[in-house]
Amino acid sequence: MRRHTSTVIAAGLAAVLGILSVPHPASAQAPNLFQPDIPVPPYNPYPPLPGSVPPTVLPPDLQPEIYRVRREVQTIFGRYFAEWQALTPPVLSNTQGEGNPPVLQGTGYQAVRILGGLLNYDENMSPFRNVACSSCHMPYAGFSGPIPSVNLTMVAYPGTFRYRANKRTVQRYTYAPYFPVLVYNQIQGLFFGGEFWDARATGFKLQSPDAEQAQHPPVDPGEMGFPDTACIALRISQAVYRPLFELVWGVDFDINWPSNVEQICSTPGGNFPTATPIALSAVDRTKANNIYDHWGQSISFLEHTPDVSPFTSKYDAFLVGTPGVTLTADEMAGLQLFNGKGNCNSCHVDGRSTTLMPGQTDTGNTPGGQAVFTCLGYANEGLPLNPRLPLFYESRPDGFGFTPNPDGFRYRDLGFGNFMRSGPQSAFNPNAFDWLQFATKTDGQFQVATARNVAMTPPQCPTTEAGQVDANGKPIPYFQKEFFHNGYIKSLKQLVHFYNTRDVGNFEFNVTSGHCPPGTTEKVDCWPMKEVLNNLDMTTGMLGLTDQEENQIVAFLQTLTDGFDPANPTVSTYKNIDTFTGQCSTTLPGQTASTQGNETLIPTWSLTQFPCATDICGVPPLPGPFPIP
Amino acid sequence: MGAAHDPHTPLVAFPRETPIGVCSMNRLLVKLAITAAAGGLLVLNPVVAQIPPPQKRAEHVEITKSPELESAHDDTAIVRWTTTNPRGDDEHFGIVHYGTDPEDLSQTAKGHIRLNRNHPETIFRVRMQDLKPQTTYYYKVTSMGSGGKSDGVESTVNQFTTPAPGERIVNYRADSSLPQPK
Repeated sequence: MRRHTSTVIAAGLAAVLGILSVPHPASAQAPNLFQPDIPVPPYNPYPPLPGSVPPTVLPPDLQPEIYRVRREVQTIFGRYFAEWQALTPPVLSNTQGEGNPPVLQGTGYQAVRILGGLLNYDENMSPFRNVACSSCHMPYAGFSGPIPSVNLTMVAYPGTFRYRANKRTVQRYTYAPYFPVLVYNQIQGLFFGGEFWDARATGFKLQSPDAEQAQHPPVDPGEMGFPDTACIALRISQAVYRPLFELVWGVDFDINWPSNVEQICSTPGGNFPTATPIALSAVDRTKANNIYDHWGQSISFLEHTPDVSPFTSKYDAFLVGTPGVTLTADEMAGLQLFNGKGNCNSCHVDGRSTTLMPGQTDTGNTPGGQAVFTCLGYANEGLPLNPRLPLFYESRPDGFGFTPNPDGFRYRDLGFGNFMRSGPQSAFNPNAFDWLQFATKTDGQFQVATARNVAMTPPQCPTTEAGQVDANGKPIPYFQKEFFHNGYIKSLKQLVHFYNTRDVGNFEFNVTSGHCPPGTTEKVDCWPMKEVLNNLDMTTGMLGLTDQEENQIVAFLQTLTDGFDPANPTVSTYKNIDTFTGQCSTTLPGQTASTQGNETLIPTWSLTQFPCATDICGVPPLPGPFPIP
Repeated sequence: MGAAHDPHTPLVAFPRETPIGVCSMNRLLVKLAITAAAGGLLVLNPVVAQIPPPQKRAEHVEITKSPELESAHDDTAIVRWTTTNPRGDDEHFGIVHYGTDPEDLSQTAKGHIRLNRNHPETIFRVRMQDLKPQTTYYYKVTSMGSGGKSDGVESTVNQFTTPAPGERIVNYRADSSLPQPK
């Protein structure tokens, strides 16, 4: 009887989701299927910002945009659900006597991929059942932030308890599984691998930093926000796809949950006395931990598959000599600049083996496979502090008694170095015994992201750049993205221009963002001071590129977008890229990609008045040689 | 795709009769086997992106463009120079030894760069901070890998003078096709 009831519920859900699998047109009205998005008043510590556009940290369309993404997330969940229904189940092979362990034969890969999809798009994986992993990582944005107005302003995304939010740009999923376990290479004297901007998902336990990355947001108070990792096991045990999880992992959901478990898992974390407020026996805690590991592994496998990381860009098609696929003159010039004068591939390693000159053909490739356009390492590119990040303002207790950032305006983002010190807003360093000594030499460093899919946008908004026009002079709608760890940069043109001119003597000003002197334009001919000057990467900063050369590098970066179909180049084949139902951005009068987003700049507070907090900059080994302002 | 199935129908058939032991124990063993199999499936995925080993260090490194001042403010300066590609560690440091007395270059600044393996030459750039305005500094440059091994090349002693407060020296300008501060 119980099974029959579950089946009926599952069938009902499938029917609903089947309807949802057709993307809905944009609508300001939330559909009826939602649970109330905010059962409690949201956390809103954000002060008015006089003279700012918008006049607060929060964009004015935030709530309808959150609903829009929720609909899209449910659409894709429905698609994975349908895939599961259509799946021929894998068979556990009998390998007795063959010298091999049993394996999920036949469709084992598909089963894990689909399970990863169901987990990734399940909004039940948050206390208020309103945030999935994918809520901040949607396919049409290359699995980065899906809300243009958030990317433009607050950068970090609201979590399950609106509007708690963190401090950094949403990192793209694509090719994330290709980062190895974080290691310190003694010969090179460098760190490689790990996940997150600050490397805090090392991968040392699961041997996959990507799988361990997926274990952080569910219990991050500013994101999905569970108070206990065991809440994931609880919610999966209640999920309609639980049988698939059991099939793949063979786990035991027979856990003796305490009577208050639903209450705990429905409360955003952050202010509980322990990291494990659910009282479980040692045996049951082990079961829950086991499930949590498999949660991470399932999602990581999804990211490893062509659903996320397919190596199907125009550049890939060009490299293998696909008939009819050629780079335009600007794209080819951009490639040569990427490898040559721009020096981009010193860090965003493209796997080529020669410096291309006009008329030359490169036949080399990366040892071991296709290039992922990253050196798998870390660098400090010297971004200015971005005063729009919401975390700075979250310095008083919210409705659940949690203060996300007690340091307030004294918070500084030291990135990797802060992780080495197990500092606030990061994680405990699991190898501090050996690695704490490297804190000073890694201050200010952030992960070198893959350049792949940096330009991916929804089909109806075919560029990231403002001010573009088609062959008839008609403005091209664009999709606002965010770049670098703190989202200070708002277009690829600005990104390349930053690398090109950051250190140019008459572009560099000893001011903070929002204070460029009269006669200059921030991000065009004025770069504010670096948030962290130590360990500054000097490979770039004064490249001598012309305006046209900058644009050509942008053109090349746009060839790294997956989903290119040589037979039909104007229609992307990237999975679920069709799910965007929002509005594209339109270019403002006088706006260009160079000034894109400048209308939202706000003046940074006095760093002298609010110097770096002692729990960040006062922890040995102290940052140096230059003090953190 | 194959036929749909009831998601609540077990996909692993358990024996109706248990010849030995306790049923729950058998179920546990089967589950452990599935876990092991699926775990192996994931862990053994090949890693395509690999950390390339360091390049063999160049036997001889030369400065091909002498060090010079790139830009200076009253309290900061950037010097730059070019060498043949030293290879070895991908991460390198340009090093400037400097001071106000040409006989005492006891201050040191380091500039972190990443070598481009494909380039025949390497540009080093080093930023010096906390300088005094309108002061002449003497300096010489060298470079080393991130492991601490010197590239074995060193310049002669050069000099520059910082500008007055509020002024700046710009010897390397952004390309003229780009907007310039008024």
